[in-house]
Amino acid sequence: MKKVNILLTVIVTLLAIFLALLGTGTAQKVQRSVISLFAPFLRTGTAVRQGIGAMGKGLKSLDQLEEDNRRLVRENRDLRATNLILRDMETENNKLRSAMDYRERSIFRLVPAQVITRDASTWWNTVTINRGFEDGVDDGLQGGPPMTVITDGGLVGKVMTAGKNDAKVVLITDENCKVGAYVEGTHEKGIVCGVRVQDTGEPELQMNFLTKNANLQPGQKVYTQGVGAVFPSGLLIGTVKSFKPRELDGQAILTPAVDFPTLADVFVIVSKK
Amino acid sequence: MKDALLTLALAVAIFLGFVAQEFIPPIEIAKGARVLLAPVFFCFGACTLPFPAMLALALLTGFLSDFTALQIVHRSVEASDLDTLQSLAGAVELSAGWSILFFVAFGLICQGLRPLVLRGHWWLPPLMSAVTTIAYLALQFAMLTMRRFDTGGLFWSDAVMWRILAPGAIALVLTLALVLASALGANHWIDERRSVRDF
Repeated sequence: MKKVNILLTVIVTLLAIFLALLGTGTAQKVQRSVISLFAPFLRTGTAVRQGIGAMGKGLKSLDQLEEDNRRLVRENRDLRATNLILRDMETENNKLRSAMDYRERSIFRLVPAQVITRDASTWWNTVTINRGFEDGVDDGLQGGPPMTVITDGGLVGKVMTAGKNDAKVVLITDENCKVGAYVEGTHEKGIVCGVRVQDTGEPELQMNFLTKNANLQPGQKVYTQGVGAVFPSGLLIGTVKSFKPRELDGQAILTPAVDFPTLADVFVIVSKK
Repeated sequence: MKDALLTLALAVAIFLGFVAQEFIPPIEIAKGARVLLAPVFFCFGACTLPFPAMLALALLTGFLSDFTALQIVHRSVEASDLDTLQSLAGAVELSAGWSILFFVAFGLICQGLRPLVLRGHWWLPPLMSAVTTIAYLALQFAMLTMRRFDTGGLFWSDAVMWRILAPGAIALVLTLALVLASALGANHWIDERRSVRDF
């Protein structure tokens, strides 16, 4: 091998070692730059994909359109009725809360975001959203906790790295995203996380460190406990699918509240109002 | 000049490959396996281009692989005791830089095979592409397992096997297509057969 080739190999190896020794904050900053570098291409790709999707969706027969219209009118009527009932309930609820001097419930300031891409990595469950630190999204690099991402259905995950106008979000279906949680109607607490390699089909979550005799029933709801500074309490995570006692603890398998395969619109909790 | 142009074209292809990967959905029949495009372009370049170009491509592929897949794990998630679940500064799960070393190592093997490739052994780049992709994913999974051993233990399933082997098979087919396109179009190899003295 030529001497110059050996020298070049040594330089590249030293560079790789230098990158391996980077601190978390610096590595996160470099990742921010890489995300920002990819951002214009990802946005263009998303726009093209949406355009193609919209073109396909637009091609409907008149019969289909009439059927859609009938269904939407019916749904609109149902929703109006439900809305009226809910409004009454909300008023009643507020009155009861103030009457009983309950602590005022936290109301969050939300930033709406769209999922641009799902990460192509094989072993991690992450998505990229179209909001970054310019929109107030924080990944914890400044010292605070990373922000929580939700939908109207429940908990989605937390911001891992925020670029200028994009951010990577680690989903709760990832083994790395662990959440302190409790089961509705019980004293059972545990830690919810994803499984290392999700098989195709419906994603599942696991809830560990439950008591062996918890005897949870399918359908019971699981909420965030809010013990760490990352996830606020009371966010719906999912429902119990099954429970099995293990040697030292109990483990529940959960169905996530959020439909992850079709996840498109999310909210980032940026602060409390 | 031709080498410089091909290196540049492959560098752009690797970058765009990372972008395109994001839009390719997982393959359901292969248990959610993903298509990896960057190692395909890298292996093709490593088997056909001179040594410095291979190193440049290894640096680019490794750097982008590491920083697109970099995972920051907050220490809070490693706490098993709920009472001490605190949000603290994060840590990088798999250190950046390892992919560069990986691609340099496999690039060196490709360079060793380069004289054979230039003599017309067209099946070597697809084979190396499949081996590199499989080795990359297997090593990544092994490191991840070691990193999470304390909290998640060992893990193996059919899905893991599929997600390692299927991208390798896809890489083989894609590199084969690339080799055919190159042989039919640019005739790069035939010109290159004149000399392999630069290695």
